[in-house]
Amino acid sequence: MRLSELLNRKVVTESGQELGRVHGVRGELVGGRLRVTGLVAGKLGILERYGVGTQGSGGPRQAKVHGHPVIPWERVVRVGSAVVVRD
Amino acid sequence: MSVKNVLAVALGIMSAIGGFVDIGDLVFNTQAGAIFGFQLLWVVVIGVVGIIVYSEMCGRVSAVAQRPVFDLVRERTGFGAGLATLAASEVVNLMTCAAEVGGVAICFQLLSGLPYRLLIPLAVLALAVSSWVLPFRWLERVFGYLGLSMLAFAVAAIKLHPDWGHVAHGFVPGSHSGGSLMVYLYFVVGLLGAAMTPYEVYFYSSGAVEDRWGVKELRLNEVTAMIGYALGGFLSFALMIVAGVLFLPRGISPQFLGTPALTAEHALGQVGLLLALVGILFAVGGAAVETSFAGAYNLAQFFGWRWGKKERPAAASRFTLSWLAIFALALLLVMTGYDPVKLTEYSVIFSVVALPLTYLPILLVANDHAYMGANVNGKLANFLGVLYFGLILAIAVAAIPLMLLTHGGQG
Amino acid sequence: MSKVTEVDIALSILDHQLVDGDGENCGKVDDLEITGLDGGSPEVVEIIVGGNAWRFRGRLGRLAARLSGNAVHVPWPEVDSVTSVVTLKRPAAELRLNRGDDRWASLVGKLPGS
Repeated sequence: MRLSELLNRKVVTESGQELGRVHGVRGELVGGRLRVTGLVAGKLGILERYGVGTQGSGGPRQAKVHGHPVIPWERVVRVGSAVVVRD
Repeated sequence: MSVKNVLAVALGIMSAIGGFVDIGDLVFNTQAGAIFGFQLLWVVVIGVVGIIVYSEMCGRVSAVAQRPVFDLVRERTGFGAGLATLAASEVVNLMTCAAEVGGVAICFQLLSGLPYRLLIPLAVLALAVSSWVLPFRWLERVFGYLGLSMLAFAVAAIKLHPDWGHVAHGFVPGSHSGGSLMVYLYFVVGLLGAAMTPYEVYFYSSGAVEDRWGVKELRLNEVTAMIGYALGGFLSFALMIVAGVLFLPRGISPQFLGTPALTAEHALGQVGLLLALVGILFAVGGAAVETSFAGAYNLAQFFGWRWGKKERPAAASRFTLSWLAIFALALLLVMTGYDPVKLTEYSVIFSVVALPLTYLPILLVANDHAYMGANVNGKLANFLGVLYFGLILAIAVAAIPLMLLTHGGQG
Repeated sequence: MSKVTEVDIALSILDHQLVDGDGENCGKVDDLEITGLDGGSPEVVEIIVGGNAWRFRGRLGRLAARLSGNAVHVPWPEVDSVTSVVTLKRPAAELRLNRGDDRWASLVGKLPGS
């Protein structure tokens, strides 16, 4: 699956609670590989979408996630038309 | 400062001037002077400070991040916003390039007497060949130095003995006698738009990378931005003052691009006319080159292509074809015969509408620690940057309504 | 022990500049291919560059994709480092990148001094 397909996908818990849309994907660069370690979902305001307030997203170490918590990949149940995560 | 440093600063300044006074400044400053005399001089000051603030940011980004501002727009503001910024910039760049090309053709006509239609392709050819053959620094120097011939207007302004008391009053916003409030506001918007053109700052940013600026050039960046654009502002004052002295009392409305040059002739005779025309030719010609290159830089930097005059044309072939194509499209636009003065007015007004979209990334990138490290915007840069951004938003919203309400400043 | 660096892929890799082994620009990271999403450790395996890479980037992207040729898939092991740009190990030509410049080089080359 393409990253762009994953982005903006709805995230819901198993019990149906909506957590917003995927706007970030956390990863780990290790040993020449790039592993996906989590997702960031939530509602993004207009300004944040444009990059205002992301404070330093120009490099890998400065990634900000708009104040939304990271959902570790272990919590992801399946990726379908929506991303389903454990409660 | 060593001789070498002084020379470098001087050269940088010359180049900065070459771009500042372009066809938009010529048209709007002259018309403003003809209608309102000296009463809009204060607007020029505000415009000059605005472009100094944003140019300094652009130059600093290039020197520190080693990449031009536009190169960072897509990764910093996202794909969608980046594409919107690109689209808006390209449309405005093309319109402005066409307006500048029209200006060059008219200068050729006034200097040679040959027909305008014939001179348009000649103008584009001359600009394209210069751009192809000259290395980047020489391009800046030729157009920059020869554009300085426009100082004839400054001499003319002094020789015409304006009421300097009235001139001084013009630096304080006040009455708007001579025209309606709407027309006054239209010219406020137009003068600011002509002073703070986006192509200018993007070209400056890419130019800094072409000139291989690094952290050592941060001081040079500040000085170039300040003195270069201030001198350009000074030339704009001159244009407004001569128009105020000669056109306003006679009720002359300068509808032709050649009219401003007549002010220099009036004050300094044939020599003045020649100097003025040569100055306009190279200032506007330089701006034509800058707009076409700015367009090519933006495209290449959005898509990630190789770019720059520093590359062999065939090695960065998509970049090369881009600026050639912009000249070609500008040629077509001008060949339609559309009134070059009207084209200039539209290009400035549309550039104002696009200003927020094109200036916001500059402010964002200049504040980004990841690119700028310790050289992020300080309190002053941010205070001025945000203040001017508010102003830019206001004029962007007001631009088209004012243009329509006043029928392009006709009242 | 290998160095582990945390990164936000959408913010710090997607849409960033690609630079080849010789330091030349060779496109942007237009998309990334991820495998293993149905398992426990998904991984980014490819960088998608150019051509119809914008297929999944909205309406405008789909239009652009239809007008373009095939995108280039660069396997992730070709990546040397990730800073504010993504640097690759090998020259662009070996990875079939910058073909656009190659395609137009012959046309531009016809002009003197190119």
